[in-house]
Amino acid sequence: MMAVIQRGVWALLLWPYLLTGSLPLDCREDHGSFSRCPSISQEKLLDRVIQHAELIYRVSEESCSLFEEMFVPFPLQLQRNQAGYACITKALPIPSSKNEIQMISDKWLLHSVLMLVQSWIEPLVYLQATLDRYDGAPDMLLNKTKWVSEKLISLEQGVVVLIQKDCGFTATTLSCKLRPASFGP
Amino acid sequence: MSLCGAMMKSSVEVNLLLLLVFTLCVKAMRYSPPEKPVLTRCRSPEKETFTCWWEPGSDGGLPTTYALFYRKENSETVYECPDYHTAGENSCFFNKNDTSIWVNYNITVVATNALGSTFSDPVDIDVVYIVKPNHPEKVTVTVMEDKGWPFLRVSWEPPHQADTRSGWITLIYELRVKLEGENEWEMHLAGQQKMFNIFSLRSGGTYLVQVRCKPDHGFWSEWSTTSYIKVPDYFHREKPMWVLITCFCAFIFLILTWLLHMNSQSLKHCILPPVPGPKIKGFDKQLLKNGKCDEIFSALVVPSFPPTAPPNCEDLLVEYLEVYVPEEQELIMEESKDLNDLCLKSGGCTSDNDSGRGSCDSHTLLMDKFREAKEKRKPREQGSGQAGTESQGNQRDWEEEGSSCAHEDMVSPSISSGRVKTWPCVFSPLPQYSSGRLEHKGSLERAKQHCHSDTLFPLGSTSSSLDQQGQHTKETLRPSNWEFGLSNKQPHLLHPHTRPQRQLQAHSDVNISSIGHKRELRGLHSPAPESTEYVEVQRVNEENMVLLQPVDSERGHMEDCSQVPLGEDYSRVNGVDRDNRLLLQREVTQGDRCFCGDRDMNGERTENCYSLSTATMTQKPRVCIHTAMPVQDNMVLGVTGYVDTSTASTLPSY
Repeated sequence: MMAVIQRGVWALLLWPYLLTGSLPLDCREDHGSFSRCPSISQEKLLDRVIQHAELIYRVSEESCSLFEEMFVPFPLQLQRNQAGYACITKALPIPSSKNEIQMISDKWLLHSVLMLVQSWIEPLVYLQATLDRYDGAPDMLLNKTKWVSEKLISLEQGVVVLIQKDCGFTATTLSCKLRPASFGP
Repeated sequence: MSLCGAMMKSSVEVNLLLLLVFTLCVKAMRYSPPEKPVLTRCRSPEKETFTCWWEPGSDGGLPTTYALFYRKENSETVYECPDYHTAGENSCFFNKNDTSIWVNYNITVVATNALGSTFSDPVDIDVVYIVKPNHPEKVTVTVMEDKGWPFLRVSWEPPHQADTRSGWITLIYELRVKLEGENEWEMHLAGQQKMFNIFSLRSGGTYLVQVRCKPDHGFWSEWSTTSYIKVPDYFHREKPMWVLITCFCAFIFLILTWLLHMNSQSLKHCILPPVPGPKIKGFDKQLLKNGKCDEIFSALVVPSFPPTAPPNCEDLLVEYLEVYVPEEQELIMEESKDLNDLCLKSGGCTSDNDSGRGSCDSHTLLMDKFREAKEKRKPREQGSGQAGTESQGNQRDWEEEGSSCAHEDMVSPSISSGRVKTWPCVFSPLPQYSSGRLEHKGSLERAKQHCHSDTLFPLGSTSSSLDQQGQHTKETLRPSNWEFGLSNKQPHLLHPHTRPQRQLQAHSDVNISSIGHKRELRGLHSPAPESTEYVEVQRVNEENMVLLQPVDSERGHMEDCSQVPLGEDYSRVNGVDRDNRLLLQREVTQGDRCFCGDRDMNGERTENCYSLSTATMTQKPRVCIHTAMPVQDNMVLGVTGYVDTSTASTLPSY
């Protein structure tokens, strides 16, 4: 009987906490305290995505040059800009010029980015695994490679979140429908 | 039955009582469910992981457990904290895999004990905004020198966890410095650089330095560990300056001392002036010692004082008019000699320099000439009555022709355009009208030659006079009117071949001398050439009238006209009107009527009518006066009442 009373009391006490979602209505961005916003705004996400991408680009370029210095023989280094070394992702429907970018929608742009990022994750992971097993690999290169791969994964997550926000939030599925047909000259 | 009922009743009551007792006991034992915990903070050191700390409430007396649950944004999945231990007590550590910068975290802490659970307030977290890096590491402080002045150089490194190399996190730094023992820190913002210089140090002091950092969106890190640095003493570097200053001051002091020493005497006189002793000029102490009183006192006598010789009165006097007086008149002269007037000198009389006369004033010379002429005259006079008549006639002509002005001319300078001196020429004897004319002329000229330099007749005028030779040129009332007037006489007096200069000379002479003529010729026919050719200034009466007296009037013109008594036929300057005209007063005691009509012939020139019969008559010969001197006011009537025409330098204005 006492247990029944206790459970009843406990239930009464816990009931409000279980039911209340405690979602604040206003979104205040206070640096000095906890943010009350339930979600990050789209502009901030975009800024972070951009920053991510820039950093990845910079670090990857440094690691690439470092890799070439270490592993690629000298005569072959000058062929960097040749056609043979073109980006693999050319097969993907990625806009290549500024005009094309302006013609397509933001959603499609985000999807392009997502595809681009996803396509690069696997090679980088593979590279990192290979270099770890490589004895002569310098630590700096290893660190850089690892860093790039990690950041790329993070970027993918960010882009996904951005797409979700843009398309509309659904907890489980992407409601956005990709329309490749919309992209074109 | 009643018993069962009673027992039932009692059991219910007992239960109730027990229940009450139980609750009371529970309350009395103070057991309660845990209090609500509070999430204090969540921090991320490098934006890749983060940790949350909470503060538990009272546990209610029972063992309480805490659990942290979090939920990601856009997801309803509730996750529990993966790591409770890494970050310490009452903390939850989120590792890199669990941390995402893309989503917010909703975190809740639950406290559970035997009596119940308590949920804390949920907190939303954005990882980017909770970044608080670690403090900078490897802070080094060194003392460096800049041109002799030391300064501190602080350098540090970012926290190793923060990835600032790739730009993942951008940190800004800040450091603070303070002297050991002080309370105030000096803050310096260093920006993104990892090195900083501190200047203006106190020599010999110990400084404390600390550094901290902050990301662009985040919290300031903790202060790094304090670095101590001691600044070496550099004050000794200022000593040479003090040495220099001291030397400079010493130098200045030496100079001042030297100056004082040099000027000690004058300074002493300034500060302590000596007492002056008694001093008498000329007083010789030595003489006093010798005891010779006479010498002492004689030495005191100033030679120039007192004046011993009486001044020469004569020297002080100014001779206004020098009139030559022949010996016959000397007695008379001396009788009427006036103190302030005459310098009647008959030979031996020295001419003084301040008589106002020019080079013509060589009295002695003129005296000699007069004597010479007189001597000539006398025989002539005696000799020829014929000549006398001629001369008389000439004289008459003279009279006719404006010799009335003569006396004015006598008084007035024979001025035409320049300066003219008449006075000096007065003395020469009048020329004779007889054969002695030439001689007269010669004598005159000779005499006049002295005056020539003084008389400045314009030649033009003289030429005009020459042109009008023999004519009456009374119309031309030019400066030398009187000249013209007299020029008529010229042909009489002078031969045609006379030169203008001589004429000039004769002019003045004639003019002047004709004054005397006039007097004498009043009777018209008493040309005593050798007499009455000049006028003697007898005296000056109190009315500032120059009383002139024709000197040789007593020579006698035995003419029809009554004899002009001696001493009575003279002109008196009555005054000077505003036009600088001499007003002469003619006093005639005896009849001179002869002249009236003759005078009129000359026209305006001889307006002055010597109408007689009146005891005294004031004549105002205007014309003549016109031509008369441009006597200056200041010299018309001098102190003694005479007119010095020699100084007249201006022409009469018309």
